[in-house]
Amino acid sequence: MSFWQLYRRNTSAVIGLVILISVFVIAACASLIFPEDPFRLAGKPMSGPGLNGFLLGSDTLGRDVAAGIAHGARTSLMIGGLATAVAVFIGAVLGGLAGYYGGWIDDILMRVTEMFQTIPSFLFAILLVAIMKPSIQSIIIAISVVSWPAVARLVRGEFISLRNREFVQACHIVGMGDIRIMMAEILPNCLSPIIVAGSLMVATAILIESGLSFLGLGDPNIISWGFQIGAGRTVLRSAWWVCTFPGVAILLTVLAINLVGEGLNDALNPRLRERT
Amino acid sequence: MSIKKWLSIASCTLFFSANMAIAQEAGGNLVYIVQPEPPSLAPYLSTSGPIGLVAPKIYQGLLDYDLELNIVPELAESYEISDDGLTVTFKLQQGVTWHDGKPFTSADVQFTIMEVLKKFHPRGPNSFKEVSEIQTPDDHTAIFKLDRPAPYMMRAFAGYESPIVPKHLLEGKDIREADLANNPVGTGPFKFVEWKKGQYIRLDKNEDYWKEGLPYLDRLVARVIPDASTRTAAMESGEVMYGAYGAIPNVDVVRLREMDSIGITTEGYSMINPMALLEFDTTKPPFDNPAIRNAISTALDRQFFIDNIWFGYGKTATSALSSNFAPTGLYKESPNYPGKPDIAAANKMLDDAGITANSDGVRLTATLDLIPYGEDWRRAGEYIKQAIGDIGIDLDLRYEDVPTWIKRVYGDYDFAMNLNYFYQLPDPVIGVHRHYGTDQIRKGTPFVNSSRYSDPELDALLVEGATSSDPEARVGIYHKIQDKLSADQPVVNLFELQFITVFNNKLKDHDFSAMGSYSSFDRTWLEK
Repeated sequence: MSFWQLYRRNTSAVIGLVILISVFVIAACASLIFPEDPFRLAGKPMSGPGLNGFLLGSDTLGRDVAAGIAHGARTSLMIGGLATAVAVFIGAVLGGLAGYYGGWIDDILMRVTEMFQTIPSFLFAILLVAIMKPSIQSIIIAISVVSWPAVARLVRGEFISLRNREFVQACHIVGMGDIRIMMAEILPNCLSPIIVAGSLMVATAILIESGLSFLGLGDPNIISWGFQIGAGRTVLRSAWWVCTFPGVAILLTVLAINLVGEGLNDALNPRLRERT
Repeated sequence: MSIKKWLSIASCTLFFSANMAIAQEAGGNLVYIVQPEPPSLAPYLSTSGPIGLVAPKIYQGLLDYDLELNIVPELAESYEISDDGLTVTFKLQQGVTWHDGKPFTSADVQFTIMEVLKKFHPRGPNSFKEVSEIQTPDDHTAIFKLDRPAPYMMRAFAGYESPIVPKHLLEGKDIREADLANNPVGTGPFKFVEWKKGQYIRLDKNEDYWKEGLPYLDRLVARVIPDASTRTAAMESGEVMYGAYGAIPNVDVVRLREMDSIGITTEGYSMINPMALLEFDTTKPPFDNPAIRNAISTALDRQFFIDNIWFGYGKTATSALSSNFAPTGLYKESPNYPGKPDIAAANKMLDDAGITANSDGVRLTATLDLIPYGEDWRRAGEYIKQAIGDIGIDLDLRYEDVPTWIKRVYGDYDFAMNLNYFYQLPDPVIGVHRHYGTDQIRKGTPFVNSSRYSDPELDALLVEGATSSDPEARVGIYHKIQDKLSADQPVVNLFELQFITVFNNKLKDHDFSAMGSYSSFDRTWLEK
């Protein structure tokens, strides 16, 4: 069966994919639909949805909530994607080295990993952003730093289980170098759990970014969903739309990514392939 | 002829008429909000706001100020200023005792001013700069000898600003480390009983209070409630009856003021006079050019801050001085503070100054630092960025933590434009001079002249304003100062912040003094 045939057996995964693609389309077209700066004071403050030309209403300063959501989608996806890429890269390198070589290298790398894992990740992210000045770079760095240990442990486990297999031993016998064995032989065989873990990590990264922005630790020059919710929470009783729509956007996106991750897991995991 | 003021007569009349209007009821406990928790109860060491909410109930000053900023007696029953302005004689009240039973005398006044406030208080060295000696011919007379006239000093004698402390408990001790900071002993209407850290501070009625028949209340409980919505709920339910200095967020004030049981007031802040403003680095391009600063002042909609961020509370700035100085005549409405933003005029100012736009319509770019005191200030920064983007000034916003921000702006001068607010305090000498004088370019000291604006003509006027003892002459001097400042705009003043006090309607006479919530509460009473 092809990958797509395996994937589409899971209906909710298909729904997730549709939502996720829509979010991508909105993010890609944000500048076309809302050419103005989303921070622009576009009209009467605190207009309700559908009033004064605001599809989803305006916030306390008169900024268009819909424009904020469209431009915020870019921020969320960009931060989610970049932070995950960095985290997966660090995690795969450290986890791979630890798993492949074992011994004292493994001991050292795993102690370091555990050290990171003992600190609650969101608090650690807050600390990191507060130390560096809040900016898009520092947020990506903070999310990557708190996310890589999980990948490292996963990759290490896969490497340990694969490193003594016959095909790897065969590679040793024909004289392949360690780097080449790791890159060309072992890594491709543990790619599917990494992809699944990475896809779920994107959702976590979006949530962390939203949380940071909500607490006022976001980049003040870049709009994001968390920022919109944070800016609107004081008027929750009088202007519900300011918080609600960005909140729904986060909910749908994170849900969609989780569903897609689940679908990928089903489709890529050979043991689940025959599941009906 | 000397200027002699017999205050007690005036105040007796006032007190009598108030008595006739409503009969006060004695008794009852007042639970009120103190937020955040005070770092100590040592008002002689720190001017921190939360200390002001508790300590002035225990400690008193020589004088107090009514809502019109007139001087009224407190521990001093009268005072007399000599013709040359160099001698101020205070006659002290008779029969005043400290909470531990020891009599209050002029020696306490002498010790407090010379040994405590002049040495350890944040603003004391400024307020009492000219005081060279205090003579105590008898127990009830304190004679202040001044090097130069200091009329502004007469505004600094309230219980919050200059509390009189007991000499017998501080003398010979390390003032900063003395136990008095946690176990205060004063002359005020309430005695310190207990401080449960993180929960409340309890003060009980001083049965031996020197004002006959006062205080009315049996007990004060200052409660610490860190969460804003819990504070609002406690006020709504009647669990607490009084909250000042933004204890209740403006957004909730708008809702609570509709309730019959709740009242609000903006009185009691006229001694503080907070002003929101933009500071500029006037030593470097681009903001060394007054035309650019004036264009920014012209392009901003000052009313926008008040309407959309501070929920209708505040007043647009119309001069370098707060309009609260109007009763003294010092305030003058000045040009370059337009009531409505004028983008065309602002653009023209920049064009005339030769600041041209590139193909994207951007004339210059800069970073705006934001005061890290909460969301309102971020919203204000976001608005400023948009508003002056319209005249081609492209801003980047920077929001850091408090120590980093203070170090950047006041320690390293590593900024271009900074959003902040300053207390102008009861006299410009105390609150405003620090912003503009060349002698106030003090690297590393927060909240002074970080713009590094330096103008000999203005410096001369500031010295004149500080030393002139003639109120008429001061009016002229400060009008000139405001003209100069509004032409140069080293600082663009935005709006006068208005703090809000929220109270339960059963509580009466709580804001009888210009000090508002920083007053003694001795006349405050509860309706049964």
